[in-house]
Amino acid sequence: MIFTGWTLAQLAPWFAIGATAVTGLYLLRMRRRQVEVPFAALWEQVARQSESRKIWRQFRRIFSWLIQIMLLALVGFALLDPKPTTWLHEPTTLAIVIDRSLSMSAVSDTREGERRIDAAKHDAVGWVRTLRSMDRALVIAVGETVAALAPLTSDISVLLDTIDAIEPAFGEADLPRALALAEHAVRDQPGPRIVILTDGAVDPAGAEALTACRTLVTPCEVRQVVGPAQNLAITAFAARRYPFRRDQVEVLTEVSNLGDSRAAVLLDIEAGGVSLGTRRLELDPGERKREVIADLDAARDRITARLLPVSSVDDHLTTDLGPTLDDVAYAVVPPLKPLDVTLVTDRNDLFLEAALLSLDDHIRLQTLAIDRALETPPPPELAEAKLIIFDTGAEPLPRVVPETHVVFFDPWRHESGPCPILKRADVTRPFLTEQLRRHPLLDDVVLKDVNIARGTTLTTEVGDTVLVRSLGEPLAVLREREHATLAIGFDPRQSDFPLRTAFPLFIDNIVRFVEQRSPGFVASAPLGQSQELLLADLGLDPTGVTRIRVLTPGGVAQDTPVERGRFRLQAAIPGVYALTSLDGTSVGTTVDVAVNQADLEASDLHPRFAGTPAEELTVMTPAPPASALGGPLWTVIMLCCATIIALEWGTYHRRLTV
Amino acid sequence: MQPRSHSPAASDLFDEAFLARLELLQVIARRLFRGRQRAERKTRKSGHGLEFADHRDYSPGDDIRYLDWTVWVRLRHALIRLFEEDEDLPIRIVVDVSDSMLTRGGGKLRYAQQIGAALAYVGLANLDRVGLTCMSRRSHVTLPAVRGKGRIFRVFDFLRSAPVGGATDIRQGCSRVAAQSQQPGLTIVLSDFYDLEGAFEGLNLLRFRRHEPIAIQVLDPVEADPTRTGLRGDVSLLDAEGGIAREVTLSPATLRAYRDAHERFCRQLEQSCRSRGIGYVRANIDIPFDDLILRLFRTGGILR
Repeated sequence: MIFTGWTLAQLAPWFAIGATAVTGLYLLRMRRRQVEVPFAALWEQVARQSESRKIWRQFRRIFSWLIQIMLLALVGFALLDPKPTTWLHEPTTLAIVIDRSLSMSAVSDTREGERRIDAAKHDAVGWVRTLRSMDRALVIAVGETVAALAPLTSDISVLLDTIDAIEPAFGEADLPRALALAEHAVRDQPGPRIVILTDGAVDPAGAEALTACRTLVTPCEVRQVVGPAQNLAITAFAARRYPFRRDQVEVLTEVSNLGDSRAAVLLDIEAGGVSLGTRRLELDPGERKREVIADLDAARDRITARLLPVSSVDDHLTTDLGPTLDDVAYAVVPPLKPLDVTLVTDRNDLFLEAALLSLDDHIRLQTLAIDRALETPPPPELAEAKLIIFDTGAEPLPRVVPETHVVFFDPWRHESGPCPILKRADVTRPFLTEQLRRHPLLDDVVLKDVNIARGTTLTTEVGDTVLVRSLGEPLAVLREREHATLAIGFDPRQSDFPLRTAFPLFIDNIVRFVEQRSPGFVASAPLGQSQELLLADLGLDPTGVTRIRVLTPGGVAQDTPVERGRFRLQAAIPGVYALTSLDGTSVGTTVDVAVNQADLEASDLHPRFAGTPAEELTVMTPAPPASALGGPLWTVIMLCCATIIALEWGTYHRRLTV
Repeated sequence: MQPRSHSPAASDLFDEAFLARLELLQVIARRLFRGRQRAERKTRKSGHGLEFADHRDYSPGDDIRYLDWTVWVRLRHALIRLFEEDEDLPIRIVVDVSDSMLTRGGGKLRYAQQIGAALAYVGLANLDRVGLTCMSRRSHVTLPAVRGKGRIFRVFDFLRSAPVGGATDIRQGCSRVAAQSQQPGLTIVLSDFYDLEGAFEGLNLLRFRRHEPIAIQVLDPVEADPTRTGLRGDVSLLDAEGGIAREVTLSPATLRAYRDAHERFCRQLEQSCRSRGIGYVRANIDIPFDDLILRLFRTGGILR
C-alpha cells in the first residue's frame, strides 16, 4: 500500500481536531425528544419487557461514537489516497515527450481556440490519470532545448503540475535528443513505454526520429495534434549602415507565407517605439518576400520588425498570422566606430595628411614621427592602430611593423625594409600602364598619365593582387593574409599623383577597404540552444577577454567564459542581448546582438512526416486505457463512508423519518 | 395543572350540522324500534299500566278492580289481571374528561362528547330521564337528570362548560356516579379506559349497584397503533396525565409490542365486560359518530 495524498504529518492535526470535536459532542448529553402519550402505564409495561437489551442500550452511545470516529478515520484514510500494491500487476514506466516548439502555439482542430500545445497537454493529462499506483512517469518537454521537467515519479499531482506549466517556446523541437533521453530514462525500467505528443511540424531530423521511433526496443507511440497550417513569419531581418552615409541605415526584412492560401499582412518597422515605416504585403502560398526599407535614421540602434494583421482585405486573402512568436524580429544597427589610423611620416607630405584628415568623421588619425616609429618596443600609436600608413619619404622604415593592416609608400627606397612584398627592381620614370579598375581600392581612381620620377617594381606571391603595373611589372601590390598589406612602389612626393583628384579617392578607398576588412558585425544571431560566436564579429576587441556578461531580453544576466575570442551564446528567446566585456582591453565595453527566431522550418506548421511510415504509428483519437477499478481507492472509501452514514441515519437516528 | 373549563373546540362541538344529524338519528331510531317499543320503557313489575301483562291468583287484599270477571264467570276461578307498569328509564351518560382524552388535539374527548350528546338526545326524545356526568380524578361534575327533548341544549351547555383535565380514575368516577344516582338505570360510560387497575372495577361497581353499565371505549387508532406515527429513536415519553418521563428507544419492535399490548388490554376489558353482562362497544374516532350510534341501535346493545 502506498499513499500519494496527504502525508501523515498533514493529516494528524486535522484528525485530532475532528476526533476531539466528535468526542466533545458525544460527551454532551443528547437531548431526547419529548413525546406525550395518553397511556404511559402501558408504555411502561412494554418498555419493561425490553429490559433484556439494557446492556446494549448502555453501549449504544459508545458504539455510535465509535462509528463516528471510524467515519473520521475513513475520511482521513481517503485523504491519504491509498493505492494497494496488490492491484498492480505489471507496473509501467511511461515517458511523456511533449513537443513545445513554436508550431505548438498554433491553433488546433480539437476545440475552438485551443492551441496545439493545449491539446497535447490535455492528452498528456489523460495519460497521467490512467497511471496506477505502481506506475511511474516522467515528462520531457522538447523545444530548442530538451528538459526532463518531472523526474520519474508516481505522484500524479507533480506530473499534472509539470504538464500544466509547459508552454510553447521558440525554435524547433529537438526530437532526436528528446527521444534519446526518453529511451535512456525508461529503457531499464519495468514496462517501459514512450509517448510522443507532437503536431508533426518538425524538422527533417525530427521526422527521422519519429520514423526511427518504430524501431526502438522500447514501445513508442506518436500521438499527433493537428491544426491549420496557415502562418506568416519573419524569416530574416537585418539592418546595415550605408558605407558612405553612416548616419543612415537600411533594413532588410524577409516575410514568408508558410500557409496554403494567399495572405495579406502589414510589416511595421519601429525603433524605440517610433514607427519607421509600414508596408502592406500580399504573399502567395509558399512565397518569401524581401522588403528593404531604405534611408532610415540611425539615431536608434535597436530596430524591431512586426507583422500586424490587415484590417480589411478581399475575400480571397487571409489575415491569419498563425503563431505570434515568429511575427517579431529584432536587429541591431552596427555601431559607428572610427578606424584607428596611424600615419608614420616625415611630415613632408601634406597632401596625404590632408586626404586623411578629410576622412576625419570615420577615422581617428594619429601621426607619428619616424624617429618614434623606430623605437623598441613600438609606441602605442603603432601597436593599437588598425591601419598604419608608412610614408617616410627618404627616411628609413622601422625594422619590424606591428601585425595590422599596413600601407607602404615606396617601401624599397632603401635596401632593407620591413615590407613583406619584396623588391624586384628599381625603375625610373615608370609609366602606369595597367591598373585593376574593378578592385575596390581603385574605385573611381584613374592613374593614367600619372607622372612618376622613380619607383620600384615588386615581386608577387600566389594570392597577391597586382593593382597597378608598369609595362607589366607590378608597381602596386596588395597582399591579403590575416592582415592586408598594400605596397605602392613609388613615393607620391616624387609624382604628381597627390595633385590629382584621384589621390584623396584612393586614400579613401584604402580606408574603406580596411574598414570592410575589419572584424565584421553580426546583425542578428539565430535562436538556438548554444551557438559559438566571435567577439570580434560583434565588434568587441577580444584581446585579453576571458569573461563576458550576457544580459538577456528578459533581464537575466549570466557570465559566460570566452576562449580565444569565442564564446557560446545560449539564446532561448528572441530579442536584443547585451554583451559586456568583464576584462581584457575592452573591459566594460558593451555591444548588442540581436537574436531572432527566423527559422523557416520552425515556423512551418505543416506535418513533416505525412505519408511517411511514421504516420502509421500515429493514432489520432485513441482513448487512454481505462483504470481497472474505474476510479481511485479513495472514491471507494468515501462511498463506504456515505453508506455507513446512510445506514446509521436509517437505523439509529432516523431523523429523516421523524 | 389547572382544570380547563372548556373542552377542545367547544364552540364547534354542537353546531347546526350536528343538530341536523341528531334529528336524522331520531327519525332512524323511531323507525328501527317501531312496533317493538312504544317510546316508554316497560318494566317487569306489574302496575297500573294500560297494557295487559299476565294473570295471577287472587290473594286477599288485592284490589278487586283488577279481578278478571270474565274468567270468574266462565271458570269460577278468581284471577287478578296484571298490567305492565310504564315508567321512564333513568339514563346516566358518564364522559371521561381526563387528560388522556385530550391528547392529539382532544379528538377522543370531542368524539365522546358527541356520542354522549347524541345518546342524550335520543333518550330525551324518547321521554327518558337523562343525566350527564363529566369525570376525572380531579373533577366530577353532574347534570341532574332532565327530561324532554327541549332539554338537549342544557346537555350541550353542560358538555361545553364542564371542566376537563386530570388523571383517569374510572373506579372513583363510577363510584361517585353510583352514589349520586337515586335510581339505578342505564349508565353509559364514555372513556378510553386508560386505567390499568380501575377500568373494569368501576364498571363492575356500577353493576353491583344495580346499574346497567355500558362501556363505550373511545380510541384513537393512531394512539392504539403507534407504528402509524413513524415515531423512532430515543425519545422521552411523557404521560399526558402527569408522572415522570420515561426514556425509551422506539424501535419497530417496541412499537409493535405496544400495539399488541394495547390490543390485549382492550380485549381483556371487553371480555371482562361481556362475561359480566356489561355492554361494551369500541368506538374508533375515525368512524363518524352517527354511524356508531346507529350500530349501537341495530345491535341493541344499549336500548331495548
